[in-house]
Amino acid sequence: MLNNKLIDLSALELAPLLETKSISPVELTKEVLQQAEQGQSKINAYMDIYQEDALQAAEKAEQEILNGQYRGLYHGIPMAIKDNIYVQDKITTMSSKIHKDFRPTYDATVVKKLQEAGVVLTGKLSMHEYASGVTNDNPHYGAVRNPWDLDKIPGGSSGGSGAAVAIGSSVASLGTDTAGSVRIPASACGIVGLKPTHGLVSKYGSFPLSWSLDHVGPMTKTVKDAAGLLDIIAGFDLLDPTSVNAPSTNYLSKVTGDVKDLVIGINEDYFFNQIDDDIHQLVKASIQHLVDQGAKVETVKIPSLQYAEWAELISFATEASAIHHTNLKNRPDDFGDDIRLFFELGALPSAVEYLQAQQVRRQLKSDFQKAFEKVDILISPTLPIAPTTIGDHFANLNGEQVDAVTNIIRLTGPANLTGIPALSLPCGFKGNLPIGLQIMGPAFGEAKILNAGLAIEQTNPLQGRKPNPFAQANS
Amino acid sequence: MSLSIQEILKSKGITANPQTLPFLEARWEEVQALRGDLTNIPIDDADIGLRNIPGGDHVEQQTN
Repeated sequence: MLNNKLIDLSALELAPLLETKSISPVELTKEVLQQAEQGQSKINAYMDIYQEDALQAAEKAEQEILNGQYRGLYHGIPMAIKDNIYVQDKITTMSSKIHKDFRPTYDATVVKKLQEAGVVLTGKLSMHEYASGVTNDNPHYGAVRNPWDLDKIPGGSSGGSGAAVAIGSSVASLGTDTAGSVRIPASACGIVGLKPTHGLVSKYGSFPLSWSLDHVGPMTKTVKDAAGLLDIIAGFDLLDPTSVNAPSTNYLSKVTGDVKDLVIGINEDYFFNQIDDDIHQLVKASIQHLVDQGAKVETVKIPSLQYAEWAELISFATEASAIHHTNLKNRPDDFGDDIRLFFELGALPSAVEYLQAQQVRRQLKSDFQKAFEKVDILISPTLPIAPTTIGDHFANLNGEQVDAVTNIIRLTGPANLTGIPALSLPCGFKGNLPIGLQIMGPAFGEAKILNAGLAIEQTNPLQGRKPNPFAQANS
Repeated sequence: MSLSIQEILKSKGITANPQTLPFLEARWEEVQALRGDLTNIPIDDADIGLRNIPGGDHVEQQTN
């Protein structure tokens, strides 16, 4: 592993060094690319590393900065993105066999925005096939491994993004989130993941999994990096029919960590039910930290949550099955077994069931809205269990064997159903594995949840520890 | 007469994976159990979450 610490720094720490020319984008990009190459044999995070293109982009950024044309926080910052977000003419596989040679003819809106901000694209990151799973155990390209423990899953579906940011082979990343796919790997890999409000960030040019639940969001080392990245990618886009013309906000400037008089909502019935005891304790301890800083706690009831898992499964599976219907009929053997089963499942519900699921979602939105009239944010664990062993379909939940996948998406799914913003950030460790905490807020309340997230981050939940996959034997 | 999962899929042109069929059947039963009978939620009055916007996407109401 490289001894140089540039790859350990956040975008916010790197930016002044780049702006003042203390380091060059080329120097930084070379280190990130080297870490990406070295990391492949251990964590397998990248699908494609853009060695040549990245160095050219870094040289361009360097010239611009030398000429006094510094563009801002992410100018000259090397970043890779999930392999379901289109970069013109670059192979975009969705980590699938069916799309292994697919080259989009245009850039995703978020890619255009990154390029306008001067980001150096270092490549594409692995994911669960078609983003339809949470393990990143990919039958076509191999499993991505958790850098904290190579035997464990990194979470998914944006597992390559989570693992790469955790070891500094990408300073930050973009993932997509349909049932938790930004927040789950963020939790499992000890980084920050933000699922923005539905419609705040354009999905144009990201391959769909489930239209009504999909989101694009930042995955970063710190809360402020997530705020800064959201500043770049948020905004109305006529090309995305679900885009919302919301007032623009400078998120980074609003993130101060001041939580005095903040009212935190806790829903015990759903979000603290069937939670690993250690995780429960860590999340409650973080809430206490906020209370110590002047926040208050209120319990809230959200009755319709009892149908959330059903509504998520019906909406997710049916929409995904519709997207893949032709290939499911004509070339089913080209899908991995797990996602083929999921798409088959999605062909089973009736139209009545799909529409009832949408009615449940409307009720959920109403119930969450009522809760947010009483509280500013809701806090929960991100995952009820610690990351599982690769290939293991079951998890240990306080001594009981439970289905891993169902539990992994149980706490993150409601924010997709309702479209509200949700942030995951580290809150401590269970053994050698990082544990994440989730903060949800009202629609377009990103500044509130980022601000509370910063207050928790300032308690140093990772205790300065970093993953070191290079010291671990390959499995 | 109730159709098997395999028959339902076949009617839609989909060949169920014989190796995972027992898991699919078990999963479908779990999904049905999660649904219950929806009696504790007032969804009959709830509009669905889909919108029907005349004039195309993102069209704001305009006055003449």
